Amino acid sequence: MSGMKPLLEVSMGIDAFSSAWAHCDRISSYVARMVSHNRADPLLYANLLSSALNELLEIAFAHHGPDGDISCRVSRSGASDIIELSLPCDDAALGFYTGAAEQLKRADLAEAYQSALFSPGAGDPHLGLLEIAVDYKARISILPEGGKRVLVAATVELEGAVS
Amino acid sequence: MSVDPTYSVTFNENNQEFSIAGKLRPQNASDIKPLEAALSKALAGVRGTFYLNVKRLARINNVAFRVIASLMAQMVEKRVDLKIEVVTSSVLGWSTRKFLPLAQRIPNIKVVEYDKEFYPGQSFLEEGGFIPILRNQTRMTWRHERNLLPRHGLTPGASIADICCGIGDFAVLAHKEFKPSRLLALDHSRTSLDYARKVAAEFGVTDIEYVYGDAAELMIDDNSFDFVTCRHSLQVFDRPELILRELYRICKPGGRVYITNEKNSHCLGEPRGESIQWTYNEVAKLWAHFNMDIEFGPKSGRYMMDAGFDDIRIDTFMVTNRDGDPQDFADMIQAWENVYAGQMSRDRGDTPEFIAKFRQGFQDHIHAALNPKGYAGWPIWAASGRKPS
Repeated sequence: MSGMKPLLEVSMGIDAFSSAWAHCDRISSYVARMVSHNRADPLLYANLLSSALNELLEIAFAHHGPDGDISCRVSRSGASDIIELSLPCDDAALGFYTGAAEQLKRADLAEAYQSALFSPGAGDPHLGLLEIAVDYKARISILPEGGKRVLVAATVELEGAVS
Repeated sequence: MSVDPTYSVTFNENNQEFSIAGKLRPQNASDIKPLEAALSKALAGVRGTFYLNVKRLARINNVAFRVIASLMAQMVEKRVDLKIEVVTSSVLGWSTRKFLPLAQRIPNIKVVEYDKEFYPGQSFLEEGGFIPILRNQTRMTWRHERNLLPRHGLTPGASIADICCGIGDFAVLAHKEFKPSRLLALDHSRTSLDYARKVAAEFGVTDIEYVYGDAAELMIDDNSFDFVTCRHSLQVFDRPELILRELYRICKPGGRVYITNEKNSHCLGEPRGESIQWTYNEVAKLWAHFNMDIEFGPKSGRYMMDAGFDDIRIDTFMVTNRDGDPQDFADMIQAWENVYAGQMSRDRGDTPEFIAKFRQGFQDHIHAALNPKGYAGWPIWAASGRKPS
């Protein structure tokens, strides 16, 4: 965790979270709306933040371990908002996030994003993270937490992006 | 045609425009099969340019984007005659940059951001020049409106949306007077909004949400506000019924929408009443030339009835040189002259002789306002309607 006092934190059991796809949309819309109210343009800011957060939640929905809570925190440092998702991980999920962390180190991230966006078939499972890194210029870190959990953190600066 | 509770699609065959509104965040591509089928059918039946309108598509995820992008890419690849324009909106923030990579990849697909010229007189009214007019006008109308607003249903603690808020001074005054539980102020001029934020900061007001948006296509949820205001704005749109429909939509059932508008040809003054009258009749014609209706005021009730409101209340009040400092009134008229007899009249191609006579009426109105024995007036129609519960 960033150690900063969060503006908002939402926690729920991973089983409950992953029981309905709509949770991704509802949590991202709610959290984004709540933390954006004092940005210069709250609706526009919330719309963008919700898009980024929703992609992260959709990734967590698809890749997580079986037991424990998922928590979604948003902290603020000036113009930056730090989104942190902490979730339970099994070996398969850990493998996914380790692979994603490697992808994000690529020098040709923009090309990788474009390629994933238009790839035929089922699509690249890392597309959402690549989009956030490239399109939202997020700084993303993916860190294991004690072997059974993973922390995905994305720092975004959206004020400039919406004016 | 509604195909899913979170989004809707419509296809206008005459314009070859396929519009998607709402929210598209499916889990799987198969979840939006009806949309895919409708889009595919629409694309198959068009010739020339096909428009994909996503101006009111608030959110999309990658699953949905890939379905739409892939379908469009396949179609333009198969049919070299087909061109696609994706119409996005600057109001949403994400849509232009989401679709741009598609346009960069495929030559026959273009992204057009619908940002400019929402209404005919936008270039005259939005950027900078009108700020002095708006500031003066609000100062003068507030003296009347602060007393009228409770009659039109505004109560302390209500949630308020001020649509077309301009430079935001009405929002600040309403905030101070009625202490709303929430106050959202929206406008489509970034210059005005920057100014509005500055005005609020000067007053130490931090809880007004200033939002950039298009009054005709608000990205605000249905049934959100107790009291929705839209002042001096329906008269500048060529299709005011579209704005009213949005005001109605965002108003809570049982809440009220409050609008103010003018009938400029009824501006008056003495002495030199004849010259003043002539000029304001010409103002009405000038606005009509640019598809705006500065005579809207008395039509407010009819428009509100047609939009579905009930319990309609209409008031008129006359802002005059006697209300406060006559210089404020004179400054407002001078600002009108600068815009109407300046840029607008010139753009219409008026002769120097006409413009000179046109200007004289404004100067005579200023003379009437500043003359200790004179009288100068500017009539306003304030109307409100209740959204049925």
